[in-house]
Amino acid sequence: MDKTRRGSWRGSEQPWVRAGSRRAVGVARARRRRAVAVGVVLAGSMALLAACGSSSSTSATSSNSTSLNLADAHGTITWWASPIAQVGIRAALIRAFEKAYPKIHVNLTSAPTNTDTNRADLVNTISGGSSTPDVFMGDVIWPAEFGAHGFALPLSNYLAKSYWAKFAPGLVEGATYKGKVYGSPLFEDEGFLYYRKDLLLKYHLPVPKTWEQLRSEAVTLVHDGAVHYGFVWEGNSYEGLTCDFMEYLASAGGSVVNSSYTKATIDSPAALRALTFMRSLITSGASPAAVTTLEEPQAMAVFDAGQAAFLRNWDYAWANSQTPSDSKVVGKVGVAPLPTFQGRSYPGYSNIGGWNLYINPHSKNLAADLVFIKWMSSTTAQDILGKTYSEIPTVESVRLALAKDPSIAPPIKVAAETRLVPRPAGTPNYPQVSSAIYTNVNAALAGQMSPSAALKAAASQINSALAGAI
Amino acid sequence: MVAGIALSPQARSRAAPGDERRRKLLARAGWSLSAPALIVVAAVTIFPIIFSVILSFTNVNVTGSGFSIGAMTGENYAEIFHASVWRYALVFTVVYTVVTVVIEVVLGTLLALVAARLTKGRGYFMALLLLPWSMITVISAELWGYIYQGTYGVADAIFQAVGLGHPLFLGTPTPAIISMMVADIWKTTPFVGIIVLAGLVMLPQDVFEAAQIDGASGWTTFWQITFPLLRPTLAIATLFRILQAFGLFDLPFVLTGGGPGTSTTSLALLGYKVMFEDVAFGPGAAIATTTTALVLAGCLLFLRVFRAQVGAAKEA
Repeated sequence: MDKTRRGSWRGSEQPWVRAGSRRAVGVARARRRRAVAVGVVLAGSMALLAACGSSSSTSATSSNSTSLNLADAHGTITWWASPIAQVGIRAALIRAFEKAYPKIHVNLTSAPTNTDTNRADLVNTISGGSSTPDVFMGDVIWPAEFGAHGFALPLSNYLAKSYWAKFAPGLVEGATYKGKVYGSPLFEDEGFLYYRKDLLLKYHLPVPKTWEQLRSEAVTLVHDGAVHYGFVWEGNSYEGLTCDFMEYLASAGGSVVNSSYTKATIDSPAALRALTFMRSLITSGASPAAVTTLEEPQAMAVFDAGQAAFLRNWDYAWANSQTPSDSKVVGKVGVAPLPTFQGRSYPGYSNIGGWNLYINPHSKNLAADLVFIKWMSSTTAQDILGKTYSEIPTVESVRLALAKDPSIAPPIKVAAETRLVPRPAGTPNYPQVSSAIYTNVNAALAGQMSPSAALKAAASQINSALAGAI
Repeated sequence: MVAGIALSPQARSRAAPGDERRRKLLARAGWSLSAPALIVVAAVTIFPIIFSVILSFTNVNVTGSGFSIGAMTGENYAEIFHASVWRYALVFTVVYTVVTVVIEVVLGTLLALVAARLTKGRGYFMALLLLPWSMITVISAELWGYIYQGTYGVADAIFQAVGLGHPLFLGTPTPAIISMMVADIWKTTPFVGIIVLAGLVMLPQDVFEAAQIDGASGWTTFWQITFPLLRPTLAIATLFRILQAFGLFDLPFVLTGGGPGTSTTSLALLGYKVMFEDVAFGPGAAIATTTTALVLAGCLLFLRVFRAQVGAAKEA
């Protein structure tokens, strides 16, 4: 395009503008201005970026632990917690707390029931610098991830060693990452076997002590038309499936990673036995094929409606199944430890669940947060959890006292007999490790992969997850 | 380009210098008045996009007190290109887009053809049809989740009553993908329908009368007359749908959570998971950037093909 020849427009973009004319100069000037405007916008964005890039934000971590006056704590704090058993536990705890500490008001924010969504929401909120929620109820598997990224305040900086000594053994360890404790254990949880004692009585079946026995009893009950579905559990592709799988895996004698979190050990004969058995629950008809889409609320709903004979769920299922407004099986439910595999010692392993209380590093009312957390581990609060709502308390003295109480709810009594297995959550990359487990186990359960192929895939994905890949 | 009075090129070159100055003044006034709004728009759209692109080229360390952006590196892209889950999400999103858009355009056009025939009930017909479209996707996905539920879902009960057994809609990949497509098509076909209807009612009627006089059948009329005239409208509807379908997020998030395994994980959903569940902002930004680049490329390609088609039709 030759702009210098006057009067020539051939090949120009705007043929009506003669090259070299005032109009052409105007157009060229306009084009330059546009370029400058775009450049300014880009430069502005870069500048803003540079400002944001350097991590700079106020946080509560700068305050010294000794300068906090807990006695004078007051104000309003927000507590982020998912529904515990859908029977009003959180509201009851808040009411009791506000009675004990009238100067502090607690606002409840209801969190999603799916623990992965819950975690993602919190990561989003906290990394964005939000000062609410102040205190959040988080899963026991979060300390490594949250501690590594600074999404929770290291409570061991603010609470003395004597505070941590009152919890049951192993719980504080589970909330520790690199020597700092990030969560205060609120209530503990584990998997139980819930069964319809009326049906077992009617068909003269014993409470199953092995998985194989449970499978055959479930098949019998379904064939005889006693129930629609034999055994319902959580098989959807999410964190809950990792919990269920750990139970079968540990009962079969297997593990997921080695103790130093450097290598996956999931591709083993024990794991193959566990996974093949889980698949056989579906193929034999003991569990509905739909179990690969069930999470806790759905499995609970099926059991509450009286449509299943056996349920594997957390301890909240007791309170939930005995609430007349939710459940049709009030008075018909029994609780037992999980079965184990034939040839191995009873009882089977229950996965450790439970929830801790964490503090948002951006919280503006640290004193009130600490008062709230300390109260939640007091005998009053733990009694509410244990006696009234049959959630397993974390404070050892309360646990021992309740175990002696004859009127205590079955899950707490049975908890004394169970054997526990934790999830491999000691690495900040635990979400990817868990995802490798549950996506492949779910694929095997749905029949898309053979169990051995699924375990091989899980092992290779866990190895890359431990190395930090997505 | 010059804001304010839109003169024809001939008028502009004949204008007096005083007019030129006035136009410049008006233009400057226009720009300065709209500058605040434009800055807000730029801050909300352009800045995050550029920020995302830059994040994708660095090692981002996310902490509770913000980001710390490390050195420039192409590692994030290498990581996602090597991840089989990303490759699957890419293929899935493209296939999903193509299939749903084709079905929706066909069904939407059929709906529009029917609605165009209606005289009295057209308003009610379209209002009813738009009900699915007006529903928030999250809510409709939740309701479809109840319908597809394996133990107490309506669809399961219907299939059982009809004698088709217990198809597990969301439990295995292929049924899950098809079920999701059904939920999507149900929701967005009315959107295509209403766009095509708008195009249909604006078509000149004399062409159709001429065709009728010449004795053309309905089929011939449609393919020889209606369809070529509707091409621009169909292109707009298709373009909109491609853009929306490629950004598929809320439906799989609510309905399947990424599906059995990762079978219904679209690119947007994968970006969310990597960014917020695995807290890897660099790779997540890389996924977002590549998705945007792909959508842009797809749309440009589509427009080029469409323009070529229209050009060919003109010459014919």
